[in-house]
Amino acid sequence: MIWAGLALTLAAALAGAPLVAVLMAAAMLGFLAAGIDLSVVAIELYRIVDTPLLVALPLFTYAGYVLAEAKTSERLVALVRSLLGWLPCGLAVVGFIACGLFTALTGASGVTIVALGALLLPALLQAGYGERFSLGLVTTSGSLGLLLVPSLPLILYGVIAQQINLGEPFTIIDLFKAGVLPLLLMLACLVAWTLWTHRGGLAAPASNSAGAAAQGGGLWPALVAARWELPLPLVVLGGIYSGYFAISEAAAVTAVYVTVAETLLYRDLRLKDLPAIAVKAMVMVGGILLILGVALAFTSFLVDAEVPQRLFEFMQARIESPIAFLLLLNILLLALGAILDIFSALVIMVPLILPVAVGYGIDPVHLGIVFLANMQIGYFTPPVGMNLFIASYRFNQPVLALYAACWPFMLVLLAALLLITYVPWFTLALVR
Amino acid sequence: MGASAVRPALAWLRRLEDGLLVLILAAIIGVAAYQVAARNLFDTGLLWGDALVRVLVIWVAMVGAMVASRSDDHIRIDLAARFAPAHWRRPLARFANAFTCAVLGVFAWSSLRFVLFEYEDGMIAFGAVPAWLCEAILPFGAAVMCLRYLMHALAPR
Repeated sequence: MIWAGLALTLAAALAGAPLVAVLMAAAMLGFLAAGIDLSVVAIELYRIVDTPLLVALPLFTYAGYVLAEAKTSERLVALVRSLLGWLPCGLAVVGFIACGLFTALTGASGVTIVALGALLLPALLQAGYGERFSLGLVTTSGSLGLLLVPSLPLILYGVIAQQINLGEPFTIIDLFKAGVLPLLLMLACLVAWTLWTHRGGLAAPASNSAGAAAQGGGLWPALVAARWELPLPLVVLGGIYSGYFAISEAAAVTAVYVTVAETLLYRDLRLKDLPAIAVKAMVMVGGILLILGVALAFTSFLVDAEVPQRLFEFMQARIESPIAFLLLLNILLLALGAILDIFSALVIMVPLILPVAVGYGIDPVHLGIVFLANMQIGYFTPPVGMNLFIASYRFNQPVLALYAACWPFMLVLLAALLLITYVPWFTLALVR
Repeated sequence: MGASAVRPALAWLRRLEDGLLVLILAAIIGVAAYQVAARNLFDTGLLWGDALVRVLVIWVAMVGAMVASRSDDHIRIDLAARFAPAHWRRPLARFANAFTCAVLGVFAWSSLRFVLFEYEDGMIAFGAVPAWLCEAILPFGAAVMCLRYLMHALAPR
């Protein structure tokens, strides 16, 4: 009976039933088998209310959507360009950094490609970069800021990890600090590779090219243009790291600040544009939070049934070294990243993997960064990486062309991922 | 089916949902920002403010999910549907939507029982607001989504 139900659930998942329903059914079947009243699913879901951190989710998402609708992307590119455009291969460097910052600020929801790609792609082509390189850059950089505050997956990992009783407590701030060096490492690898492939001097310096929309003027005009948005990273990062605000409070301040800046100061948006943006953002939040809530119920069933513990015993009987475990984990997560979107992967896999990893002596903060770095690559791994489809739609290119454009970037990021995985120093240096 | 009566009701529900989403988000932003300002500047704050904001988050999530189910816009893993031949897509969608409708129906029923238990217990969430009222969005939202997936199952897009 239960097995028939599980088979039906799996079939429905493959046929395209929403993940919420799939997880809900799995949790219900589990509780049914254990003879527990089904209203426990609602009780567990309602536990979202006990997690103050989650208040940050709707607030940061809303702020990210507002930034994406305003002309923030143009000002950001102009500013980074005036700062770094003079470097060799400057425009590519500008692209990586601007995408990373924008992805973090907008919560890694896939809007980077839509908002920045349209600016960067023509500018890159005009500056003399090849079409394949340029397409690859804008597609793969769309998930580059995933490890930087306030990206939603980073916050979500923290929320899920804290729900699991680990014995090795960490604060969410630890997680935020841990992402910084790995991101810089990825940037360094990407820039080094870009310089290497363009060592013949193919690309003209960005400042000489007439990059249409992303044309950077001097530093001063760019600074003046960005004057109302420049304090934003300070509010978010400074507020959180100094302990002045809790994360949810920083999110509230960000939401108010962004609203005032884009409607009253810049006048990019009219006040009557805001409701539509709010609805769009909250639909995304609703989807993610509901999945998270149901996943909490599912997790508590798994823990009751001692599934993570059995999984660990099973693994340990076969794999002894943590290194071998991490290697297997990388392969598993890359495969998952290609078929699941990041939010589904987080809520399904973290409760299973994290206790096992801790059993192998892996730091939960380290695991989180490894997990997310894997997922970041999953965003553009064929066949169904989300960024491939967004880019295909946005730039009017067949998905196959994007596969071809992205694979060199993927190899570079895979190399960075291996370093991040096997040299825990990158994640833990700023934390411990 | 009395489509003439259903259509205006659906349009009305749509406006209600959109309005609620905007209103709840504005309340979250307003109260949370007020709490920050009041605490850092005047060392005060609303006693029930934080609790209210956390309840509003689950409300915004449920209403957001209700809106998402209007156009079946939920996160999914649709491996079979993506690679299936074209003439399989509609039956697969019907099956997935019927499954979703059934699961949400069971959840609506079991969460309604949870709310009724809480009603009998007479627990208070914050201020003078009873806990069951805060929790009532679960069965309500699930029931609305259940009906929408019933419609998707009958007429997949």
